[in-house]
Amino acid sequence: MKKLYSNKLTIILFILPALLLFALILFAPIFVSGYYSLFDWNGFGKMNFIGIENYKELFTSNSIGFLKALGNALLLALLSVGVQLPLALGLALLLGKGRKGERAFLSIYFVPVLISTVVIGQLWLKIYNSSYGILNAFLRSIGLDNLTRIWLDRDTALGATFVPILWQYVGYHMLLMYAGIKSVPVQYREAAMIDGAKEGQINRYIILPCIKPILKISTIFAVTGSLKSFDLIYVLTNGGPLHATEVPSTLMISMLFLRNRYGMGSTIAFLLIILCFAFALIIGRMFKDKEED
Amino acid sequence: MKKVIALLLAMVMMMSLVACGKSSSDETSKDGSSETIDLTMWCIATESDSNRHAYEASIADFKAAHPEINLTWEATQNQEYKTKIKAAVAANEMPDIFFTWSCAFLGEFVDAGRVYCVDDVYAQYASELPEVMMGNVKFDGKYYGVPTTLNIVGMFSNMELLKEVGYDEVPATYEELIECCDALVAQGIIPFGCSGKETWCVTEYLESIIEKTAGASVLNDIFAGNASWDNDDVAKAVGIFQEMIDKNYFDPEGIALSNDEVKANFIAGKYAFYMNGTWNCADFDKAGLSDKIQVAEFPVIDSSKSKLGELIGGPSDTLAVAASSKNAKVAAESAFEIAKGICRYGYLDGNGLPAWTPDYDYSSINSLTQSVADIVANSSQMVLFGDTAMAADNANIYLDYVSQIYSSVINGQEFVDGLTKDIK
Repeated sequence: MKKLYSNKLTIILFILPALLLFALILFAPIFVSGYYSLFDWNGFGKMNFIGIENYKELFTSNSIGFLKALGNALLLALLSVGVQLPLALGLALLLGKGRKGERAFLSIYFVPVLISTVVIGQLWLKIYNSSYGILNAFLRSIGLDNLTRIWLDRDTALGATFVPILWQYVGYHMLLMYAGIKSVPVQYREAAMIDGAKEGQINRYIILPCIKPILKISTIFAVTGSLKSFDLIYVLTNGGPLHATEVPSTLMISMLFLRNRYGMGSTIAFLLIILCFAFALIIGRMFKDKEED
Repeated sequence: MKKVIALLLAMVMMMSLVACGKSSSDETSKDGSSETIDLTMWCIATESDSNRHAYEASIADFKAAHPEINLTWEATQNQEYKTKIKAAVAANEMPDIFFTWSCAFLGEFVDAGRVYCVDDVYAQYASELPEVMMGNVKFDGKYYGVPTTLNIVGMFSNMELLKEVGYDEVPATYEELIECCDALVAQGIIPFGCSGKETWCVTEYLESIIEKTAGASVLNDIFAGNASWDNDDVAKAVGIFQEMIDKNYFDPEGIALSNDEVKANFIAGKYAFYMNGTWNCADFDKAGLSDKIQVAEFPVIDSSKSKLGELIGGPSDTLAVAASSKNAKVAAESAFEIAKGICRYGYLDGNGLPAWTPDYDYSSINSLTQSVADIVANSSQMVLFGDTAMAADNANIYLDYVSQIYSSVINGQEFVDGLTKDIK
């Protein structure tokens, strides 16, 4: 074995196929996006090199509205970490204790993750419909007629779009955390109980530290997923009305395929990649610091 | 026969279809062999599209007449199709024949040299397809597509609802229309339905109001880039549109509805008026509403600058051929044959007026389409839909401002100031 590792040619030969595949799938598109972001190009005509003009325009143009889109994505990330993950953790802790019907609940909470996003989008469109939607019907039935409204209008569309996004992936994070909780040796819990620890203390001082790597992964997924969020917003509002629900991904699609600004679309794509990497590193560092503390 | 002549005259009278951009395309003539030829075609005639039958029937006729050609076709929904065809053009992996909107949408493909010039083939069909219909597919003096049907924006009126407020006919003047709308609102009936989710639907209203305030020539020049948006009449027209919104003439729920939902509401009798493309005639006829609905053009607002007969619309639906096609000439001939068939069946189905001269009995067309034919026969000028006439980037900036107007975020002056600054 030692001889095998000492042969650099063998190592290179074995690593090369996977490395090539990895480079082609991951690095080549990033590099190409970065390259195209330096051009004024409609996707099929002549390419004009303009340097960092696309980046300048992206951050200064009101007609593009990138900062608002980025703000919406960051707000979604904040809500994901502040609302979605605690909810998922609560459910995972409840189910992780081995309650009756554990598997059934697990499946039920995970169902939204399995359903097609388009189906979920259509479902919530019906829920929000101001004429026959179940939300307004419910409010009317309990005498809160004054709260009924057009849910996907400019004022409430952002919140109304975030609700199904957060709802859909609670089950996903719950499953990750549940798997982590289940991997904590049962002896730890039993030992703590013998020492007189209460349920909250066991969760706080035993379970959570043990599943910290899972929490880190969940946080990274929640934040980067929010930055990249696209499908449900596209189905529900397509970024409207008046860009109220615009996120970088919907803006990117609009630039690439509606406004024929391939260079600008590539700029947004490249920035999204950078942002996702940056947030993944920051979150990783934050968890690492705490582990070290 | 009179109607054919009237229609032909009207077509010839359409003098100022939007001028299109210039192009530089490498014209590569590639003749196919006489063996079985495989051709592919993309379009937007999905199962739910009102033109589906016209495409199916035309392609069936074409296949029967040309057994030597193996044509496979697929349809994609309108919005997704725009993405799909642009991606295909970018990758230069286009089908032999593809559906496109004329003018700027097609123009950008032509500029990139991806579209086959059909001048030679058009020469064979010139007697059946009037040259005036080819204006929107002409770039630098060459033709790059085949139009199928012609549509305009029509004001569809639910006569049963109008009768409830004492109107037996569609209001003929702007003042009458306003009085009618006031009466409808007082009666608890919503005058207009318009989708805010699909901004092109708002332009159907706004462009008609601008045209009938500032005049067709002014709007045409603005769309063509020959005049600035900084125009007092345009600002005034936008103000008129917003006043109609403020007076509750529009369904407030429309802002979050798709066009299909708004159309369904109109069919269900929720709105008195619905302004949209005349391709809807077939659907209204199928819904059994031909007796209940009438179609008219939007009334004149400023008679010193506009007049009846100035319309929004024109031949936009087009078939084009990829320059990269291995059988480009055969594909071009096929595109003409198929377009001719789509035009015929589409007209008979009531999906629009024919871009091609009808040489068949069309006495069976529904009464709504017949009314549209009469409106077009009396028209003097048409302005193509703004989002088709302008290049993609400008069109989307324009649509952004239109949606801001519909949501009353900006006023008429801010609309013209913003567009003057942002439109390139």
